[in-house]
Amino acid sequence: MYGSASTHDIPTQAATGLENEDPILLAEFEARIARGEKIEPTDWMPQLYRKQLTRMIEQHAHSEIIGSLPEGTWITRAPGFRRKMAQMAKVQDEVGHAQLLYSAAETLGKTREQMLSDLVNGKSKYSNVFNYPTPTWADSNVISWLIDAGAIVNQMANAKGSYGPYCRALDRICAEEAFHLKYGHDAVVHMATGTPIQRKMMQEALNRWWPAIMTFFGPSDKMSVHTEILMRWKVKMATNDACRQQFLDMYVPKIWEIGLTLPDPNLRKNEDGVWEFSEPDWEDFKRVINGDGPCNAERIAVRRAAEENGAWVRRAMQQPQARYVRPLA
Amino acid sequence: MLFSFDPRISRLELPESAPPPPDKAALDQFPTYEVFHQRKENTAYVYVGPVHAPEADVAFLFGKEQFSRRFPCTGMWVVPTEAIRVTEYGDDQQSVYDRLPLLPADALTTADAAGLEAYDIFHLKKRGKAHTHVGQVQAASPEAALQAAKAAFGDQRPVVNVWVIRSADLLRSDDDDRDMWTTTPDKKYREAIAYKVQDRIDRFKQER
Amino acid sequence: MNPTLDLLYRLADDQLILGHRNSEWNGLGPILEEDIAFSSMAQDKLGHSLQLYTLLHELGEAEPDTVAFTRNTPQFHCCQLTELPIGEYDFSLVRHFLFDHAELLRFEALADSSYEPLALVARKVKGELKYHVLHANTWVKRLGTATEEAIERMQAALEFTLPYALGIFETTDAESEIISSGLFVGEEQLQRRWEASISKVLAQTALTLPDLRLLTPVTGGRHGQHTEHLQPLLDEMAEVFRLDPTADW
Repeated sequence: MYGSASTHDIPTQAATGLENEDPILLAEFEARIARGEKIEPTDWMPQLYRKQLTRMIEQHAHSEIIGSLPEGTWITRAPGFRRKMAQMAKVQDEVGHAQLLYSAAETLGKTREQMLSDLVNGKSKYSNVFNYPTPTWADSNVISWLIDAGAIVNQMANAKGSYGPYCRALDRICAEEAFHLKYGHDAVVHMATGTPIQRKMMQEALNRWWPAIMTFFGPSDKMSVHTEILMRWKVKMATNDACRQQFLDMYVPKIWEIGLTLPDPNLRKNEDGVWEFSEPDWEDFKRVINGDGPCNAERIAVRRAAEENGAWVRRAMQQPQARYVRPLA
Repeated sequence: MLFSFDPRISRLELPESAPPPPDKAALDQFPTYEVFHQRKENTAYVYVGPVHAPEADVAFLFGKEQFSRRFPCTGMWVVPTEAIRVTEYGDDQQSVYDRLPLLPADALTTADAAGLEAYDIFHLKKRGKAHTHVGQVQAASPEAALQAAKAAFGDQRPVVNVWVIRSADLLRSDDDDRDMWTTTPDKKYREAIAYKVQDRIDRFKQER
Repeated sequence: MNPTLDLLYRLADDQLILGHRNSEWNGLGPILEEDIAFSSMAQDKLGHSLQLYTLLHELGEAEPDTVAFTRNTPQFHCCQLTELPIGEYDFSLVRHFLFDHAELLRFEALADSSYEPLALVARKVKGELKYHVLHANTWVKRLGTATEEAIERMQAALEFTLPYALGIFETTDAESEIISSGLFVGEEQLQRRWEASISKVLAQTALTLPDLRLLTPVTGGRHGQHTEHLQPLLDEMAEVFRLDPTADW
């Protein structure tokens, strides 16, 4: 579960470093991508490509492992067998997605342990929406449906990107997300069309989550040299605004049809087919992403505790002669 | 104590704030294993991805739930990443076998039959897709196995990349273990198809 | 109680409560891949309990959701082993090892049960339980032969857990009828097989199995007597379900 802007991760000023790359190799690399061929781990690639992809896939992986926590909050309280088993399967999938994505990032040269270390040390970012709490079961349903829906918009685009291992991971992830989306929708529909208590719970959860959902894809892209290059290299596949428009187009009608309202009086589709909405509070977004959100401390503390509590197990399982090599594909 | 809406977290009794932990030791990093699965009887094993594990038996436990908890599966192989001999990658539409330097003939024939070992050969047909098992050859070294693979499977095209694995390095699930996957298709709660809600929406719209 | 109901309730409650407990690890496990594997097994346990509650429903008991989410402590027949908090991973693994060995042997025996619907379920889940036991054995063998730290932890967990594990085999008034009607071979038989089965694995480790005859089994669970941990577990599990008993979630 990941939006294209867990952070403002495309530099706008810094040098691209392209002038230091071998022009012949660079031309071959770009020609391969232009032909629609994927890049595989042992291929030559520009430093900027390796760096941006590593960051992006790593942040995506972190978003999955941290993203398992807000729904995990309700894993012991899901009502009824059907929901209980599905909630377990969904949280499990998020951990599974993290595993797949860390593996894809590892093929670029950064070890999983280093990535996990950077996460618990607060050196890496993850999707900002997971810094908000899930105080009720309905909040968890909103994530299951709408955050996953947003993630799918983004992941479907990225699955057409240029890096082979990331595409392989995303193909598998998208297949599993189909379950998440249907499960989330099913749960929200049951609540929204259910008893007055359920309905109220769901409407309140949606009101709480809508501002965060609107920031999920990040602010409008600032078109920079970097952005242009990364789009040419099929690292960044769609602009944040395009993703947001696609999401609104697909899901707002589905939200309205079950009698739920959205807390934005300006939300509407204009005559040109473009969704208009109140600009999200990007100052608040920045404040939260920089650490001052309601759940930042908890999320990191929980990952730390999991790492620390599991350390003895990993120490014991370690074989003295074992040697780490990065995964192949 | 750290407040959480999650009762599981509350039970961990975590402190409100704690100093950041030291960097994880390199030791904490397990080796990696590559995992292949077979979705149907009599079909080729296909690469599904890596797991981190201390040993092959643990890699199998991990691979089974990470890669075959959803779809039908009849078998699984795991192999240490380190044990895979990888060719360079060619362009889509090409065959990397064409670029294979020919070993001197004696390099292939020096070993008598007793020195031969089985090797499993995997092809990647297109960049971004997954390596697929094409068969086994007998050879005295991974290099020789690649030559033998070219002779046996070189007519298949395209071949973007080849993995050569000494068969003894593959841990394979037993035929007897197939029952571990028999109930996988019954776990419908994990499938999108189990969630059909249109009737409820239609009913709701009608009643409004 | 009718022997079939008696047996089914014990089986189903064990699976529900342990499945619930083990799901608490999801997202917090020691290794990403292990987190996934442990969650799958917890889901399997939930699935088994649902199948067993469904058999009960077919025999006239309430709906599975009602049975699972609305009863209180005295109405539960799980052994106390299943309700203990997850503790650290050593305890959770040892519980998994001791419980799942019994479970595999139990369902192997139930495959021949005179109550055909139960025999059918038992035959179906055999492969799943095989994986559970393979998982447990692999971990116990690895950790039980690993670092001093790990061996000490596993030994301590084993000694703490065993008396509770013996409580798995607590019998009820229905026991003799359960055996004579061919429903199940009985707890005593099961316990003998279980002892042989766990001994075989533990013998391959640096762990020592204490003399089980010297231990006092922790019983009561089969008769509705439970630790102080069960009611909070049930309250937590049913927190949403009980918000609106008329709701369809």
